[in-house]
Amino acid sequence: MAINSLFKRDIISGNGKLTEKQRRFAYTSLAPILLYMGVFTLFPIVWAVVMSFFDYTPIREGSGFLGLGGDNPFIAIDNYIELFTENTKPAEVFRIALKNTFIFTALVLPLNLIITLPLAVILESIGERFKTLFRAIYFLPTISSSVALVIIWSYIYAPGWGLLSLMFKAVGLVPPKSWLQDPSLVYFGVPLAMICVVIAHVWQDFGYNLVIFVAALQSIPKTLREAARVDGANVWQEFWLVVVPLLRRTVLLTSVLTVISSLQVFVIFQLLTRGGPQNQTQTMLLSIYENAFRFANNLGLSSAMSMVLFIIILTLTVIQFRILRTEWEY
Amino acid sequence: MKKILFVFVMASLMLAACGGGATEAPTASNEPVEIRVWGHQAPAFNEANQKMFDDFMAANPNVTIKYETFPWDVFIQTIQTSLPAGNIADVILLPGGYTCRYALGGQLLEVPADVMTLDQAKEIFFDAPLGGQTCDGKLYGFPAEYNLEYGGAYVNPALFEEAGLAYPPKWKTWDDVVMDAKALTKVGSDNVMTVAGMHYTNGDQLFTYFLAGILEQGGSYFAEDGKHFNFNSPEAVATIQKLMDMAQKDGIVDPIIFNADSEWVGDSFAQGHNAIGVLGSWYASDAKIGYPDLVFNYVSLPPIMGPEHKFVSVGGWGYVVGKSTQHPDIAWQLAAFLGANEANVLYFNSTSATIPAMKSVAANPKYVEAVPFAAAVLPILDAGAYQGNLTDPDQLAYEIIYPTILDAIQGNQTAEEAANSIHEAANAMVDSAQ
Repeated sequence: MAINSLFKRDIISGNGKLTEKQRRFAYTSLAPILLYMGVFTLFPIVWAVVMSFFDYTPIREGSGFLGLGGDNPFIAIDNYIELFTENTKPAEVFRIALKNTFIFTALVLPLNLIITLPLAVILESIGERFKTLFRAIYFLPTISSSVALVIIWSYIYAPGWGLLSLMFKAVGLVPPKSWLQDPSLVYFGVPLAMICVVIAHVWQDFGYNLVIFVAALQSIPKTLREAARVDGANVWQEFWLVVVPLLRRTVLLTSVLTVISSLQVFVIFQLLTRGGPQNQTQTMLLSIYENAFRFANNLGLSSAMSMVLFIIILTLTVIQFRILRTEWEY
Repeated sequence: MKKILFVFVMASLMLAACGGGATEAPTASNEPVEIRVWGHQAPAFNEANQKMFDDFMAANPNVTIKYETFPWDVFIQTIQTSLPAGNIADVILLPGGYTCRYALGGQLLEVPADVMTLDQAKEIFFDAPLGGQTCDGKLYGFPAEYNLEYGGAYVNPALFEEAGLAYPPKWKTWDDVVMDAKALTKVGSDNVMTVAGMHYTNGDQLFTYFLAGILEQGGSYFAEDGKHFNFNSPEAVATIQKLMDMAQKDGIVDPIIFNADSEWVGDSFAQGHNAIGVLGSWYASDAKIGYPDLVFNYVSLPPIMGPEHKFVSVGGWGYVVGKSTQHPDIAWQLAAFLGANEANVLYFNSTSATIPAMKSVAANPKYVEAVPFAAAVLPILDAGAYQGNLTDPDQLAYEIIYPTILDAIQGNQTAEEAANSIHEAANAMVDSAQ
């Protein structure tokens, strides 16, 4: 039976609600994805929230439902208190990671937008054939394997014989002894290793925002730009006073997406610096991973860290939506 | 409709919850049985194990062995996420230091007395690897190898020849090693070290030699209660100072460039970036696969801080049986076949080029014939002990000791400050775990 035929007007009940047959079809269609979401998304989230209130590790047998209780006791908010007040190594490293994650995000967001928005405008202004070519080139790192990209960047940042060091030497500059491992190199309060990771990440990630901006630019009615020109606006005024305000929704979207992805970056840190040197590139996700799977297998503490990260992402997203809220459509 | 949907969802959840159980229900001895074995992905290990599995299945036609291997990170994650669900494999080849973590949590079975007693095991295995399988005085598995990060180093013949040094080196004291390392070190015109004379600033090595240095001087890293640590002793400070001096005064390694995360000792050695690579003998088999043209030798190192060798080991990989197995008899039969049968152990250690945990295999000339580079460390195996209950060995090694000592070697703190920092962090870890 064609799906459309199920929804023909003649079989919709008189009060506008779905018929029994339509409801059955809708439920049957939704059940698999609901089941999937329930088992693989909803349950892990609820499980993580619950675990954050227990001194839980899977290596202890525990008692009760899924090993909660017994040797894995309920400890209320002790995990959260430990994270923010105690001097244990995991808690100390987590607090460093929290700061580093904010620094990373604060650097990535503006850098990404500063690169992608003008680049999108330039791309939009060139011929169709080159536009497609350049869009593909810029998007290539985004769809490439993160591991492969990290290998490329590890060659670029290699001490002494790396590409970046060789380029420095070629122009008569003295490169740092190590781009990624010297804890003494800090510029404007930001460790050099963190700056290097930011650059590598932005290079990998900016393709997404670029494509979104190009699409947004294409959707701006030409009449608005033409009207500005008729009113005597030059190219800069047209961009700054017409295009940028109309892209506010897109800026909001890309900002939110960039902040969320920056807060959750893992692979590049894990493979390029592993949080070093001296925890200067330790991030929240690395901390969560290491405490859950590398060190004490303390899933309770790791879950509490995950909840903190979740609250941060939620808060920042809400704030961004409020700040960049627009009141018009075009 | 809601009821139908509810029943469907609940039935599916129950199926999901019940799925993936350990194995089938208990069977009679001649009925088909599937035994799952888990290990990490290591070509040499897998090759050795597979041959022994084939032999076991040939001798026990009703048994099918399903061997599942995982990359290291996935391996540990899989074990940890499978434990609460009770569906870990019947037999697991666990790394040293992990057995007691799971055994004391009630997740592993004790070796039945009719398979092997602890006293019997003490006769058969070296103390250090056996210690990794012994928890609270109970035996939980069979050590397959002796994890040794101490006592040996890789040497590069071309670099020795270039420096005009005798090869292979026969060092009598640690000072001899440092003297050769100084001659082997190369620094470029831009003041960047291109070849480290000796790369000892890797995570495992700083941890291992820090503990060994304390022991060689007659000290102990445990406090009197046996749980807390004594890491700010004069012996600990002296060891850190020695590790610092080799980099800062002797200049045989630049710890900014050469450490665990940059120029990792194994790859760095294979690429000719260090002349003496201090690393466990286990790397030799990896190097032969990863760098088939690499010419090297593995030679013994003298004690670093005292007159004679004293060191500790994390134990070594060992065969254990999961608590949820439905076939404990067959699982133990297989584990013993793999880890306690001398011929099989000889085959495993020879094929995987690992150091034997079994004394008789270490003394077997066939083993040295198969793994000649191991001869450098075989004489010191009796000097090793199990590292003991370090609460969280990985956290202690990689989050506390390694980064702190590296920081000191890099010139950011004194030996005393580093020792105090390690002492406080390590004891805070113990307090937090209690």
